[in-house]
Amino acid sequence: MSEVKTIETVNMKRRQVLAGATGVVGAIGATFAAVPFVGSWQPSEKAKAAGAPVDADISAMQPGQMMTLSWRGKPVWVVRRTPDMLERLSALDEFLRDPLSNDSLQPDYCKNPMRAINAEYLVVVGICTHLGCAPLYRPAVNSPDMAANWRGGFFCPCHGSSFDLAGRVFRSVPAPTNLEIPPHRFLSETRIRIGEDTQEGGQA
Amino acid sequence: MSEQSTNSSAPAGGLLKWLDDRYPLISTWNEHVAQYYAPKNFNFWYFFGSLALLVLVNQFVTGIWLTMSYKPSAAEAFNSIEYIMRDVEWGWLIRYMHTTGASAFFIVVYLHMTRALLYGSYKQPRELVWLIGMLIFVVLMAEAFMGYMLPWGQMSYWGAQVIISLFSAIPLVGPDLALWIRGDYIISDATLNRFFALHVIALPLVLVILVFMHIVALHKVGSNNPDGIEIKKYKDVQGLPLDGIAFHPYYTVKDSFGAVFFMILFALVVFYLPEGGGYFIEAPNFEPADPLKTPDHIAPVWYFTPFYAILRAVPDKFFGVVAMGASIAVLFAMPWLDRCKVKSIRYRGYSYKLLLTMFLISFVVLGVLGALPSTPTYTKLAQIFTILYFAFFIILPFTSVNERTKPVPERTT
Amino acid sequence: MLTKLLNSFSKRLIWLITGTVLPMSFAFAAGPNLQLESANNNVRDVESLQRGAVHFANYCMACHSTKYMRYIRIARDLGWQDEEVIDKMTYGLALPVDDVITRIQEGVSQQVFGTEAPDLSLMARLKGTDYVYSFIRGYFEEEEGKWNNHVLAGTSMPNVLEGVKRHSTTEEYDQTTRDIANFLEYVAEPYKVKRWDLGWKVILFLLLLLILTYLLKKEYWRDIKH
Repeated sequence: MSEVKTIETVNMKRRQVLAGATGVVGAIGATFAAVPFVGSWQPSEKAKAAGAPVDADISAMQPGQMMTLSWRGKPVWVVRRTPDMLERLSALDEFLRDPLSNDSLQPDYCKNPMRAINAEYLVVVGICTHLGCAPLYRPAVNSPDMAANWRGGFFCPCHGSSFDLAGRVFRSVPAPTNLEIPPHRFLSETRIRIGEDTQEGGQA
Repeated sequence: MSEQSTNSSAPAGGLLKWLDDRYPLISTWNEHVAQYYAPKNFNFWYFFGSLALLVLVNQFVTGIWLTMSYKPSAAEAFNSIEYIMRDVEWGWLIRYMHTTGASAFFIVVYLHMTRALLYGSYKQPRELVWLIGMLIFVVLMAEAFMGYMLPWGQMSYWGAQVIISLFSAIPLVGPDLALWIRGDYIISDATLNRFFALHVIALPLVLVILVFMHIVALHKVGSNNPDGIEIKKYKDVQGLPLDGIAFHPYYTVKDSFGAVFFMILFALVVFYLPEGGGYFIEAPNFEPADPLKTPDHIAPVWYFTPFYAILRAVPDKFFGVVAMGASIAVLFAMPWLDRCKVKSIRYRGYSYKLLLTMFLISFVVLGVLGALPSTPTYTKLAQIFTILYFAFFIILPFTSVNERTKPVPERTT
Repeated sequence: MLTKLLNSFSKRLIWLITGTVLPMSFAFAAGPNLQLESANNNVRDVESLQRGAVHFANYCMACHSTKYMRYIRIARDLGWQDEEVIDKMTYGLALPVDDVITRIQEGVSQQVFGTEAPDLSLMARLKGTDYVYSFIRGYFEEEEGKWNNHVLAGTSMPNVLEGVKRHSTTEEYDQTTRDIANFLEYVAEPYKVKRWDLGWKVILFLLLLLILTYLLKKEYWRDIKH
């Protein structure tokens, strides 16, 4: 290194500025370069296509009947609720953890006590909010295979969480929030589309 | 800025000291970067070593990402490539970076090897650097060959068919060996699966170890230079080579410039010429593998064509394979075939200049011939250039003993 | 002076190889080739692609698929609404998320033409856009009612554009065939325009970095006497 000039003759300022500028631009470049690698972990077009909205014909559903659809690989339940069921739902608030669905997932148009666009039809994701098991549909009050005082609704066999017929979670069970309501809309009186929001232009 | 002190590094306090007490962090950095003294007269030929490392990193990162969406099965491989190209976000870019990287790797490595031939970098005391480098080259060829099979296109399939058939030329065990490599009576799902495992895990691991050894061996003996002189001969009072400069910052900044320049060329290909004119991605590979239909013209990827031309030039299956193997194997012997004491082409006699020019031209011409369909004229040409290729290695030991060299300077010019 | 001259050995070598050997090589690389018409298409021309997509649906999809494409992607790239692409390309018989698959039943092609009609997703990359263009225009009547093709002799594909040719002007026919070839080029690499549009930005950025690294290198190397 004896042939290296003494440090005093070197324009240190210019050197630092250049090194800094190169470092900053290089770091920006590295960030840009990371974009494709991060982006490629997003759902692919294939996954998105498989997760496209699902249509269902609900004209043949009997009062009290439940239908299971598959949307984005998840079970989605449609329940045609009877006037009797709806009446009972209104009297449950004191037993529920989140009766007004303040802490739960649902589109704004379903943030109401019945958690539905049309109170007659409940559309809900059939996955327990505790650890992801599939709850059972037990609509009858005091269903014979349920514990005493069963109020009708969904019961998760994994850890005993229970939900009413609006998917609202009861108190003192492990599940923290109400069942999730997926985006959906009525194409007509008898056709329902899961995965697309009700308001104009909304897409899943 | 580099610390220009020669006394043993006095690490700063805090975390760095804590680490350095437990791991040779600063000493390693100093030994291989900050206080690794490289000759100050490197020219552009000396970019290719660091560029090879850059391409290796590119292949690793893009390769890892490709395995996230690729399916190593005969039924799904081709579809999964199109899935990557069309459905995975940015998948096309990641794949083109990988395919372009494969060709870039060979361009860089061939130039890196040419540099060694020009300036005698394989000579004493750097024989081991050269041998490890040659091993890297051979493993790289295997890596590239297996990678080329994965898209499961027509060229993937039939290229693999031809190359694996080479093994059947070996007397006695040949056919059984080819069968064992394939794991089936034809190239099949089983072959694809094992090649995938080798391509993504085994060979990259070997490559990394060899590259590490290549650099360690180089740093033990020190870098050669365009004048082919040993800078360790003349040292200052501190014991530092007078013609040496610290790798960091001088060559780190220089190599950064080289790296960016390279990336521009790389980006030009990735964005505007990803098929490389049909040489980086061959057109028949846009058709799924079909064991019942051979494409009209099978040519290996361009970086194998010189050796493929040698194979085809010999009109005998067994000796063709031997000639091809020898054309690579003979390069390992360079440190001992070349008996001239002078390293750099700058001070060597006309005989070496002539021989080397002939060799490099033969290599390029064979590369072109290997990509063409074989006709009688081309085969004749390939035979002539195969002879010239080998002539280099045969004549060199005789001419290099008493080569009329020019005086070599004591210091770098 | 002398060193300068010697120094240039590698440079002379590079010139020798790139200047003479490579062009020579290309000279004997140019073999006899099929005369193809140039498609002169432009994958940036969205209107041409839209027309090409409809022609493709009308004339090709009876037998051919482009199974690596979905209608929804065509809609997005070609500026159509989801409903529009379904309407224009499938008469409402498919969903936007469906793959672009032929309407022919499996096996029928084999029975009628003696071969399966190939999937056309990658045809333009396999054979080239000019090939596609020349092929669909390459039909000639060998004898009364019997067609052959200049580009692919003995092809089992019928001359599906015969009617188009008969009922349109030369310009219209050129346009139709060009649009189909253009659409197939797009289908073979739907992200091509995106690739082109991103490339120069990346290169511009790298040029900035190149200037900076060059200045930085020069600055540091002022330390070193030669």
